[in-house]
This record gives sequence, C-alpha cells and structure tokens, in this order.
Amino acid sequence: MWVIVEEVRKSIRILLAYPAEVVFWIFSPLLWVIPLVFQGKALVGAFSSTPFGSLAGTDEFIPYVLIGAIISTYMFSAVWSMGNSFRDETYYGTLEHILSSPARPAYILIGKGLYNSILSTSFVIVQLLICVFIFGLDITLVKILPIFMFLLLLIVGLYGIGFMAAALTLLVKEAHGLLHMFEYVLFLFSPIRYPVEVNPITKAISVFIPLTYALNALRGLLLNIEFNFLKNSMILLGIDCVLIPLGLVVFHYVEKRTKTRGTLSDY
Amino acid sequence: MVGSGEIIVNDIRKIFKKGKPDEVRAVDGIGFTINKGELFGLLGPNGAGKTTLIKCISTLLIPDSGSVTVGGYDIYREPLEVRRHIGVLTGGERSLYWKLTPVENLRYFAALYGVSRKVTKERITYLLELMGLVDKSNVRVEKLSSGMKQKLSLARVLIHDPPVLLVDEPTLGLDPYFARFIRDFVKNELNKKLKKTILLTTHYMDEADELCERIAFMNRGKIEALDTPDRLKQSMPQKQVLEIKCQGTIEKDMFETIDGAAGINISHGEGFVFLRWNTDNPELILGNIIELVREKAKIYSVRVTTPTLEDVFVHLTGASLKDA
Repeated sequence: MWVIVEEVRKSIRILLAYPAEVVFWIFSPLLWVIPLVFQGKALVGAFSSTPFGSLAGTDEFIPYVLIGAIISTYMFSAVWSMGNSFRDETYYGTLEHILSSPARPAYILIGKGLYNSILSTSFVIVQLLICVFIFGLDITLVKILPIFMFLLLLIVGLYGIGFMAAALTLLVKEAHGLLHMFEYVLFLFSPIRYPVEVNPITKAISVFIPLTYALNALRGLLLNIEFNFLKNSMILLGIDCVLIPLGLVVFHYVEKRTKTRGTLSDY
Repeated sequence: MVGSGEIIVNDIRKIFKKGKPDEVRAVDGIGFTINKGELFGLLGPNGAGKTTLIKCISTLLIPDSGSVTVGGYDIYREPLEVRRHIGVLTGGERSLYWKLTPVENLRYFAALYGVSRKVTKERITYLLELMGLVDKSNVRVEKLSSGMKQKLSLARVLIHDPPVLLVDEPTLGLDPYFARFIRDFVKNELNKKLKKTILLTTHYMDEADELCERIAFMNRGKIEALDTPDRLKQSMPQKQVLEIKCQGTIEKDMFETIDGAAGINISHGEGFVFLRWNTDNPELILGNIIELVREKAKIYSVRVTTPTLEDVFVHLTGASLKDA
C-alpha cells in the first residue's frame, strides 16, 4: 500500500517541480471545453437540436458532447499515464532500479494511475462546474453517488487497459503512435462526440467498448436520458473483472519477455 | 559449481540475438562463488559481459541457462527474495529523481523495498549523516554535484540495509576526490565495518587491485582467471616489467627484430605513450629498445617494476583492459 502512496506523492512532487505543467493543469479544462461549445453552436445554431435528439435521446447537443469530453479525459489520461510511465522512468534512468526492487510493478503502475486519476478528477470537477454554471447542467447531490460509482467502474477497467499500455511501451519503447491510434479508434467507435447510432458500423462496434456503457450511464444520469442502470453497471463490472487480470497477465508476460531479450532499459 | 557462498553463479549463459550473424555471447558459461562478507571483483574491459552478469544476478535479465543463488535464494524461483537481499549501485548519475530532494528520493526507494515508515525515518537520518549530506537533505538532486549524487545513490542502495551489494563501475565519471571517497567507503565502511558481501565490477585495474580480496578477469563473456590480486600477479611467467614513458609515434612491429622484446604492450595516458615488456631479464633488451625508441620518440623515464593486473590481463587475453 505504501508503495502506491509514495508513487502518488513522488509523481505530484515531480509535477510541482515543473510550474508550466501546473499552469497547464489549471487552464486546460477551460481551453478543452470552450472550442467544443463554439463548435456545437456553429453547427446547430443553438444549444439544442431536434434531429440530434432523435439519435442521442436528448436535444441538448453541447452538454452531450461536454460529458463525452469529460469522461474521455479520464479514459485517455489513465491510459497515457500508465502507458508512458515506464517510458518516463527510462528517461529518468530509474526504471532498472525500480524493477530490481521487490515492489510489484502492478502497485507502481496503480500508483501512477492513481496520481493521474487525482489530476483528472480535479480537471473533471472544473469541467463539471463549467457545465453546471454556464450550461445549466443539473447535478443534484442524489446523482453524485451513482456518478462516482460509474466513474469508479470505468477507472478500474481503465487500469486494466493501462497495464496493457505499459506492457506495450516496455515492448516497443516508443508507443505514442500506437496509443494515439487507440485513442482515435475510441473516438470513432464510442459515443464520445456523437451518438454512435448515426452509423450502423459504429453502433455495432461500440457495444464492445467499456466507455460506451460508462458514457450512456453518465449521460443518462446527468441529462435525464432513459438508460438501464443495472445493465450498464453490471456490464462495466464484468468488463473490469476481465480487463484487470488480463492487463496483469499481459504485463507480466511482456516484462518476462523483455528481461529475456535484454531490452528492458533500451530506449 | 555449487557451494555455500552468499552468491553462487553456476555455468550461467546469456546470448543476445541467438542464431543471427551478429550474435553476442555476453556471458558464456561463467561460474564462481562469492563468500559471505567477501569483496569480490570482476575486472574486464568494456563489453566483457560484466554488466550483463550483474543484471542476471539482480533479476533484471533472465539467463538462457545456468543457475544463480543469492543468500540461498534462487533468481528464477524466488526473485522477490533475491531483490530484498541485494542493493544495486551503478556508475553514472541517472539513478535518482533529480526533481526530488535526497529525503524524498530515499523515502520513495524505502517504500519500494517495503521498509516501515519508522525505520525509513531512522535510516534516512543515519545514511545522510554517513554520506555527509545532511545539509543537502532538502535540496533538489539536480543542484548536487556528480560526487554528491553518487553518494546519494549509495545511500539509496543502503536504504533497506541489504547484506549483498552489486556495485557496477561505481567511480565512472567521478573526479578523483569523490572516486577516492567511494573506494574508501566501499572498502572500509561497507565491507570491513558493515560486513556486506560485495560484487564489484570495474575496468579500472587499480580500483580492483586496491579493493578486492579476489578478482575474476572477464573477457568476451568468459572468466579468464580467478584468484587473489597477488596470486594473479605472481602467475605471470616473467616476474619483471620494463616500462618506458615517452612521447612520439611508436608501432608494435618496430621491436620484432629484438630478441625477447616482441611481447610489447602499448598504452596511452596523460599525453604520454607507455611501453611495457614482461621480461625476466630487462637488462638484456634495454639497450636495443632504447636505441629504437629514441629514433621515434622522446623518452621521459625508464623503469623496471613488477607486473600489474593490467599486465596479467594482457598476458591472458592478448588485449589491454583499456581497449580490448
């Protein structure tokens, strides 16, 4: 447990040592959200659209997209953070010293993921406040608990993907391109920016992506769209139960492979 | 080679790019035993396989075959126990978080090794005092000198008080003052006082000669000889060395015509050329050699001395530690 706490503490300390990064984390929620608002208004001409409503279940185009943006923040920051974490350690020159310690790499990765979740949560809180105060999003205290439950279910699954992303980085060293591709595939096949119902192929593929269920549930809660609470939460839980062990097995396999091939500390 | 040593390496092999034209036999059937409390040296040129061997012992690299136990723990079956048992120090500066302070670095590594919070606090205080870094304890590592960083790296290695230390080229890139500190610390504090078992790799002959109780010469993945420094030197067939220090252009084949002067070792350092011959009768070849050298170079000194580990290495491998 202490390894996880110290990993979070270390990562925060390193972040604070770079003031420009801190400025980024303070202002990027605003910079991230505002273009989406303008884009929506330019396309629809207002904050609501009836044709959009027939696909998405809500006329409210901008809050719909904003929620997609907020949740995808969680998604990508966790995957990026865990995926690139060992890459960063290679740059610091500390990777071999970490992996020659008795601490299990999974705990170190969880610490790195947790650190990023803390940052993402603060990021998301600012975005949600923008949604509430500028776009009149209705978040009552009653909704907070289920929102966090779905976020938690999403994050746990993301950690499983994060283990695999970290494994990928150990294997190919420079995984930026592959992680970007993963990100773009998710943008295409899950309802982040648009309802996947707009195209039969995107709709068919979206059922295999955990983000779809998290987005459906969170939009349902925040925008009062009808959704099956139990089904979405059970599917997310099931996906978590698959992704976490799968991520650990993949990471363990790749770690062993790199130790056999002698490529652990390669750039 | 099986025994009751603290580190037992038995017929270990590690081959990279196996079966390809550029196959590298980094470690090629090595075996030795290091006793508890011993300071054991692996001496060899760059690329000899020393670091590969250290990585195998520290579980960072999985050997192709052979076995290694550390403190009775097997590297394949009990890697976590092996890691708890060892501390790994490498040369060079990048083994710490430069944006963190010494205290923050040590606290983080203590957590990795499962040291309790209470003990961590005590160990950090003790180690910073031991290394003379108390006044730098809250200064970011990036502000410390190279020598201070290496001292802090030593503290990091000792944070969980391991009985076995793997020390890989510890003085690499350090100025003479800090290199001396590290050598004295490894020998007197870690080995003699704290009774740590130490496997030290180096390509500095003097460092190995000064520090190690036993030395293994490693070259091209194999151990060429293993013994105490004195016995290794005594194993030389010729008991004396003729050395000429000069400046100029000297070629090995210049001396082929002189009986007994063919086995020359030429090395360079501090702007000088050093010519060395292993011989039992330096007086027999001295006159002719000086005559030849004078034609091509300016002679600064001539002396007859005893063989060094470098001479033994050259004798065994035909190559110098510096450029093998």
